[in-house]
Amino acid sequence: MSIAILSNDQGHFACSQYGGDWAGPDGDRFTILLGLLKQLPAGSLNLHTFEDFLEFIPSVSVRDIIESSTEWRIDNQASFYLHASKSSYIVAITTSQDEPNWPSFDATLYDKDMKDQLDQQWKIEVEGVSQGAYVSQAQHSIATPSRLGLKAQVDHEQLVWPPRQLNATGKRIESASEQLSETATILTWTRLSAAGAPSEFSGRAPILDGVSTVLVQFPEGPKGVFMLADDEHSQPAIDASVRFDVRRLYGQDGMMHYGLKAILL
Amino acid sequence: MVDVAMVGAGQTKFGNHPLGLKGMWAEAIEKAVHSVDSGFDSTDVEEAFIGSIAFGGSQLGNTAALLTEHSGMEGVSVRRVENACASSGFALRDAWMAIKSGQADVVVAGGIEKMNDLSASRKRYWLGVSGDTEWERLAGLTFPGTYALTARRYFHEFDSTHDDLVHVSVKNHMHGFENEVAHLRKQVSFEKAQSGFMVADPLTLYDCCPTSDGASAVILVADHLAHKFTDTPIWVKGSGAGSDHLALHDRPSITQLRATQMAAAKAYKTADISASDVDLAEVHDCFTIAEVLATEDLGFTGRGLGGAFARDGEGRRNEGSVTINASGGLKSKGHPLGATGTGQAVEIFKQLRHQVEQERQVRDAEIGVTHNVGGSGATCAVHVFGRQR
Repeated sequence: MSIAILSNDQGHFACSQYGGDWAGPDGDRFTILLGLLKQLPAGSLNLHTFEDFLEFIPSVSVRDIIESSTEWRIDNQASFYLHASKSSYIVAITTSQDEPNWPSFDATLYDKDMKDQLDQQWKIEVEGVSQGAYVSQAQHSIATPSRLGLKAQVDHEQLVWPPRQLNATGKRIESASEQLSETATILTWTRLSAAGAPSEFSGRAPILDGVSTVLVQFPEGPKGVFMLADDEHSQPAIDASVRFDVRRLYGQDGMMHYGLKAILL
Repeated sequence: MVDVAMVGAGQTKFGNHPLGLKGMWAEAIEKAVHSVDSGFDSTDVEEAFIGSIAFGGSQLGNTAALLTEHSGMEGVSVRRVENACASSGFALRDAWMAIKSGQADVVVAGGIEKMNDLSASRKRYWLGVSGDTEWERLAGLTFPGTYALTARRYFHEFDSTHDDLVHVSVKNHMHGFENEVAHLRKQVSFEKAQSGFMVADPLTLYDCCPTSDGASAVILVADHLAHKFTDTPIWVKGSGAGSDHLALHDRPSITQLRATQMAAAKAYKTADISASDVDLAEVHDCFTIAEVLATEDLGFTGRGLGGAFARDGEGRRNEGSVTINASGGLKSKGHPLGATGTGQAVEIFKQLRHQVEQERQVRDAEIGVTHNVGGSGATCAVHVFGRQR
């Protein structure tokens, strides 16, 4: 999702490309914030009241997601404060604890029916119960720097991603420390109908007319699979380039799971 | 070393089966026992290996003991074998090794799955638990998706199009049409298969196998007992297995299955044959592209030539160089996950003994192969069967 940013004497404000009324099919105030933070010089942040404005509890802490996916660090003594508008999907970073005067943003047209259906579907998903702990909380937490920050391990001068404990010969590999590139090349792709999508996505797939997944290769060598975002008006192609944003992946057991999605360049 | 003979084999019809777990397993065992020419007492079974992914979780623990209890094998040493869709291929391999090692003389291998009484969401869930869930499933992938990624890449790398997959679908529906135990007994025209509902682009409904209920079982014995049970045992001449990364993105190439290549090499070596000796093969065509890859990885054609192999009708019964999926394969005969591998062995047993429907018989078949894959290629078991020891 391309975000719109407005800076004034209060601080920096951001919303989605759809303006303040909608964060997009897989966006929310948190993903807009992460998009904003990636655009600004890194510093320290005071979460302030930001978490109170999230619709759903993230499966991994807000701090871990911010620190894994951006260069920013969370510090309760920091002089930058996070804010989120209660009435709209606008977030802000200011130097004051006081709620800022929220600006208005130009909006692009969007399908109101689709928005309402997706909003409803997200609620249904989050309230749903897992039919099995196929990705444990420990897996989610341990792999967060790699999953959200594209941090790779080094093994015999080659980069390893996604992370693993032991290498191909059974020797332990050090923790992920090397940064993969922010772009990658599509090796192959598919678009899944509801019938072909995992149960986590089968509610949203019909509303979105399918969900796309790409298998990409980073310039450093590792490969990975990612869902595609912001592809309503474009189709992937082999050898095309993508970048990555943090978006909602799926909701379950009262929590929202976030992850990287690929966006066509 | 001991040689292993298959003296009995049986299965339920694959599809929406009216019976539950115990009933289906009992039917498969009953048919396997009845297929033994000189009679067989199931209480003589020393070891049993039963493949299953656990039927939507309804009986995750002690599955195998429950099944043997209900099929006249009370007290037998038994365990469930799980390697996703290759579960009973590996159950067969374990049974073969038990006899080869001299630890047992009479062994049952089988498989079972009950999927069609699950809700749609539960079925999708259970069909998606066998990939690398942490990295693939969260990117929206289950097996239609992973095989779709493979198909598109295959078309990119080689001289092949979706029409080649349509040829696979049409052939397997044609083969399965006359198979009385097949799930989808209907012929499909090229035009219809070409224009199916898109499941995972570029794979359509006609590229995907159905999810079936079913059970299958084979009876293996040591060589010194073979002629006690039948004059025409089918010899399990070779067995091989391999494994690979679960996730496509961890593999060097996604247009070949290294697990199949390893399994085939071992199986051919133990059987002392080459791919050109094979008369018929039951290959794991969970998706049509999987059959294209299998024909290459099993050595029936060269790398990148699987599309042309399908296009030229090389796998057609009694027409091509080797009959591929005379049963209809997973595409038409059906895919009851854990029961598929030994279901393939049942077909080879009957084909090599000339016991299938006349119109389905592969002429002069001496050597048959089964190829059973787990997931998108994480595990694979290959077996070689022959009329001659």
